[in-house]
Amino acid sequence: MKNQEGQYFSPQQIPEALEILSKYGKEIKIIAGGSDLLVQYHDRLYEIAGWLDLKNLTELKKIELNSSEVSIGAMITHSQLEKSPQIKNYFPILSRAAAEIGSPQIRNRGTIGGNIVNASPAGDLLSPLIAYEAKLVLLSSDEKNIIPAEQFFTGPKKTILKPNQLLTQIILPLPPQNCYSSWVKVGKRKALAISTIALAMVVKMSEDNQIIQGAKVCLSSIAPTPLEIKEVREEMIGKTFSQVNFTKLAQLVEDKISPIDDIRGTKEYRKEVARRIMIHCLEEIYSCWRDKCLPIN
Amino acid sequence: MSTHKLTIEFIINGQKRKIETTPFTRLLDLIRDDLHLTGTKEGCGKGECGACTIIMNHQLVASCLVLAPQADGAEIITIEGLGEKGKLDPIQEAFIETGAVQCGFCTPGMVLAAKKLLEENPHPNIEEIKRGISGNLCRCTGYKKIIEAINLAAKRLTQQLEEEKGKEKNV
Repeated sequence: MKNQEGQYFSPQQIPEALEILSKYGKEIKIIAGGSDLLVQYHDRLYEIAGWLDLKNLTELKKIELNSSEVSIGAMITHSQLEKSPQIKNYFPILSRAAAEIGSPQIRNRGTIGGNIVNASPAGDLLSPLIAYEAKLVLLSSDEKNIIPAEQFFTGPKKTILKPNQLLTQIILPLPPQNCYSSWVKVGKRKALAISTIALAMVVKMSEDNQIIQGAKVCLSSIAPTPLEIKEVREEMIGKTFSQVNFTKLAQLVEDKISPIDDIRGTKEYRKEVARRIMIHCLEEIYSCWRDKCLPIN
Repeated sequence: MSTHKLTIEFIINGQKRKIETTPFTRLLDLIRDDLHLTGTKEGCGKGECGACTIIMNHQLVASCLVLAPQADGAEIITIEGLGEKGKLDPIQEAFIETGAVQCGFCTPGMVLAAKKLLEENPHPNIEEIKRGISGNLCRCTGYKKIIEAINLAAKRLTQQLEEEKGKEKNV
């Protein structure tokens, strides 16, 4: 395993991949689907010293379900996330977010692991993952770290991932029976849109489906990293839906974000839209909850 | 820069090929420059336009966003792999008949996207057709005739299938 210039590694086993990273992690690029990496480097591929291609790591291409959690391999593509019956059933907004990424061509190649590691402030899967309380498994040849997804991102395209580490799995705790979620992505066109703003919301109810026990609202494209508005929790937890003021919560979301002006939208636009999509998500969740509560005739 | 050479093997349009490439060659360039299959086009080079669309391992992909060594062991279909000698694929015929080809640059990718769509969903509605070709840009037609072509192809393919079934019954 000599590192000649322009080396290409495609190991079959995870330990072998970790070994390669511990030796050459600082020089080489890890490639999964390539749908972000080859766009970034499309005119300067020659700058890359070498590749670690994950395509043969079948261990990373599985979605596994046990009694308390679902483990998603980092090489699962957006198309697979979109179509997986388990993901659709337990984590519907993750499936919906995956279905709206890029185009069929992009969804067939791009992976969940790549979306996370690329750490774009507009990464479409990131806010649903944080709203569902995802944890990330980071492996190196000497240790295994499991961290909450929100701690992974430090800035635009910046994460805590070390050169010798590989993101291998995304772990999602199974939601309780009464769990409701909603997701909105606002972009300039239907396909291939980089989001101007997106919001994911997950509400967990008590066993009798009356009291709100968990509430997570996470937005993307409004800060250097995906951002949870933690204040929403305090306003919702322990209450019933009738005790929650939607207008006030939406105003809270608008007040807590400080987006920037960029090519996809101004600060003012993003703040206004944040408020409106928060109302939309609350109403969607409320109507799903109400439909479930109504007696079936 | 000295670049590491490597040999990859794959099946393209039913033919087994073994070819030397580099870790920095895009699959698109290998297809066009090394295999001289120039039906596959380069538009944006960033996965946005779909001109470089191919079918790899039964999936629609943008060949500009695939490294050549990533295609090692793959099964690939390019536009040259459609139809038979002297006979076009029904999708290609439908594109001609409806006038869905103007400058023609997007057509190979568009036809392959249509092929994949109709394999997965033989009776798509308009919205499903739009979603199926949402990764392929056309700057000439306004898509209307392309959608018509895919609709027509869907009908023809269904008809063809029924006729084949009918023949089997008669035998």
